[in-house]
Amino acid sequence: MKKHHITAAIFLFLALGAAVVAGSSFLSMRKAEPIVRGPGVTEITMLSSWFPGLKGTAGDTEVYILKSKRVSEDKAQAGASMLILGGTHPNEPSGFMSAVLLIENAQMNTGTLYVIPRANNSAFTHNDPQEGSPQHYTIKTASGSRSFRYGSRATNPIHQWPDPDVYIHDSSGQSLSGNETRNLNRGYPGRPDGTLTEKICYGITELIKKEKVTITVDLHEASPEYPVNMAMVAHPKAMGLASETVIGLEMQDILIRLEPSPVNLRGLTHRELGDFTDTLPILMETPNASQGRLRGRTNEALVLTGIDPWYVKAQKLGRLYVPYDEKGHPLEERVGRHLAGIAELAFSWTLNNTDRPLEFTGLPSFAELQASGIGAWLKPVD
Amino acid sequence: MLMTFIYLTILAAVLGLSVWCLITSKKPSLQATAAMVVVPLLLRLFLIN
Repeated sequence: MKKHHITAAIFLFLALGAAVVAGSSFLSMRKAEPIVRGPGVTEITMLSSWFPGLKGTAGDTEVYILKSKRVSEDKAQAGASMLILGGTHPNEPSGFMSAVLLIENAQMNTGTLYVIPRANNSAFTHNDPQEGSPQHYTIKTASGSRSFRYGSRATNPIHQWPDPDVYIHDSSGQSLSGNETRNLNRGYPGRPDGTLTEKICYGITELIKKEKVTITVDLHEASPEYPVNMAMVAHPKAMGLASETVIGLEMQDILIRLEPSPVNLRGLTHRELGDFTDTLPILMETPNASQGRLRGRTNEALVLTGIDPWYVKAQKLGRLYVPYDEKGHPLEERVGRHLAGIAELAFSWTLNNTDRPLEFTGLPSFAELQASGIGAWLKPVD
Repeated sequence: MLMTFIYLTILAAVLGLSVWCLITSKKPSLQATAAMVVVPLLLRLFLIN
């Protein structure tokens, strides 16, 4: 055997080894971490129950249903319903974690809660290229650590490709950058014969229509330098409810802005779900440094604590739209904001609709979550 | 589906050429370069990443 054949064999072996190691790591991202069925969960089904076109695809995802006993016993006492979308963008972890805490802790007194923790299931299976994002983040609980996926903003290109040069939103004709074709929050109300992302949007729209969902809450995070942050974005018909909710939150010393859903920004939940269904759509944003452009080292610690010296510097230079200091914005605070918003939305709704109440218990308050941490509210995995 | 098949066929051909380059090249630096090219091509061929 010639010398260069020996070196070729060595390099080929090394390449195969690297491919196996990298492949195992990437494949591990397709394994969904367990979510414990909480005491209030009455049914777990799949989104394909409302749109069979998703069955067997990477876009099909779990829907957790929490119904009060009154719904089962007396339809007239059914109360209102709320749909929570966590994980529309899996690189915005407070939305997903809020959905997990709801599933594992909430119990309905009246009404029905639908929770989709991984709204874009495919986007949980990869990271955004060139971002250096961690694949997972770990939260300590009394019964050990639990690890959760940190995913991408968009559907995995393995599941949906190629991206067009220009993405044209179907129902409005609005033009966007080609990669936005894989952004779940640009595809509503969706199409049954569209791309995978549009099919997921269509499935969620069908759920809202068929179940007559009263309120839809889409949980997000934004870079601290993004203007719409620490905010609630509401469709015009949900503005009354959102206004009362914002006042309620501010009375708890939780500062939050109220933003109207822009008429010319199409494909988003807070616009299209309000235009195409009877639900009251609201989107909430919390500040997440790990997805920002000004961040330094991107790792699990940044995801969990939000502590980043570059953002402190940017705040001092007046470049941010949210307060930012050495304490950062930890995940507890961001999840606490989302959960407080959801609880206040239900409270405001019930105050004005006593014949169709929406009441639940079991969730930690904002202060409790800051004091005890998220781990205290995560159930042990069997 | 047809487009995916064509894409993967082209990919397999490029992968084959890269491996061929790795085996026949006499310069270790070129062999190392070819080996590095092989890794992402393999991951994409098996639709892993």
